[in-house]
Amino acid sequence: MSLPRFQYFGPKTLRETLSLMQKQGGGAAIVAGGTEVMGRLKHGLIQPSCVVSLKGLRALSGITQKKKEIVIGAGTSVAELAESALVARLFRAVSQAANVVAAPPIRNVATVGGNILQNTRCLYYNQSAIVRKGLGPCYKLGGQVCHAVKGGTRCFSVYQGDLASALIACGAKVCLKQAGSSRTVPLEALFTGNGKAPLAIESAELMTEILIPVPKEPQASAYQKLRMRKAIDYALASAAVALTATRKGTIGWARVVVGAAGPLPIVADEAAKLLVGKAPGDIDAGEVAAVATRGAETVDNVLLSASYRRKMVAIYVRRALQQALSDLTTVHHG
Amino acid sequence: MANTDKRNVTLRVNGEEYELLIYPHRTLAEVLREELHLTGTKQSCNEGACGTCTVLLDGLPARSCLLLAMEMEGREITTIEGLAREGALHPVQQAFVEHYAIQCGFCSPGMILTAKALLVKNPNPSEEEIRDAISGNICRCTGYTKIVEAIQAASQAMRAMQAMRAMRAMNNKS
Repeated sequence: MSLPRFQYFGPKTLRETLSLMQKQGGGAAIVAGGTEVMGRLKHGLIQPSCVVSLKGLRALSGITQKKKEIVIGAGTSVAELAESALVARLFRAVSQAANVVAAPPIRNVATVGGNILQNTRCLYYNQSAIVRKGLGPCYKLGGQVCHAVKGGTRCFSVYQGDLASALIACGAKVCLKQAGSSRTVPLEALFTGNGKAPLAIESAELMTEILIPVPKEPQASAYQKLRMRKAIDYALASAAVALTATRKGTIGWARVVVGAAGPLPIVADEAAKLLVGKAPGDIDAGEVAAVATRGAETVDNVLLSASYRRKMVAIYVRRALQQALSDLTTVHHG
Repeated sequence: MANTDKRNVTLRVNGEEYELLIYPHRTLAEVLREELHLTGTKQSCNEGACGTCTVLLDGLPARSCLLLAMEMEGREITTIEGLAREGALHPVQQAFVEHYAIQCGFCSPGMILTAKALLVKNPNPSEEEIRDAISGNICRCTGYTKIVEAIQAASQAMRAMQAMRAMRAMNNKS
């Protein structure tokens, strides 16, 4: 399986990159680490007019601490994020998520921006052209059928990225730039919830930074991931929980995110509401997990049944919550 | 020059420089095997899942099937062919032979390079650290036990060699 021939551009500055992306009118494939895009190119899932490589843009990488936030360059390698003591101390969920992305050799090359902006996946879609041809085009490929859910009237592909769920739980924002303008939005706003076109990023836009606000209050967070093997596998269900404590020791702010159970990381607001204002000892973790699971959309596939994955979503939410609560108590009393 | 044309690229592989004329869409794995005939680097899944194409990039393991060869200019690339010195196997290679850590051998180049990178960074890893380091390299024969034992033995051998060198350097000084 080789790459198709393509036109290659290796811009050296951000300005040059944004101008190229604008000229290509959405036809360019942006390659940073390449661990996601190369597979899509090889399988013919995308047929870009050209490849724009970000390898020359060193300025996009690095983790810096500012007064009220941590700034992660979108080109930072997942390995650097995973090894960052600063991130581990402030946002444990993000650190935990980074440490379970794929496997060490992939983390050495893959970037944070690329991990966030990965497409949704499906066992019937992420296949070679010859397999896809045999099946016929599904919704994600412009057809009128879903092979994953018999009789499904839309695309049921799943967003399986690890970092986004943990970052959203911690309240991260992302900075998107295009020639002549830029915007900063909450990370969850990048996800449409439509498996066919899961990312709300314009074709000429480039993600440059991820900003995580550092709360003044004591805070704790945790990430849990279900997979068949301890490495390489994408998440089959995941959960991220972030909490802050008030002076009285009650929960001041909370976020619960369910991952790999639908076309986007699901922000479970109703579950978070059950936490705010409560003392850690009064929290019913089982109830929070049950409420968080309501929005999860699990699909039967050859690896696991939908009902098993649904149960595991609840268990992983509960575990992430318990871990965050236990850390918060330590932080608060420490 | 059109952007699809072949380009002149200088790659530094196992300490030697190679001037090549290659298309932008060629992966490092393809160029190593087909242009430089360094076929120790294997290709299997071709999409980053299996780890047989692992090479060291500035000392760190990376999937050569997911890297564009032309972007590797200025990087130090190490393949399995670059480990032996003057006909003597690298301690990790030697340990793999002695501990029967090789069965079909297809994963071995990637596995050995990954182990070498680990031992450079962490000369005395725990079993868990070893298993974590090689978690991106799939072996369908050994069940990993022999591989972990080989890496533990290599770690011991490399630390002993290091101690010997340090002792010799001290003796030379005094």
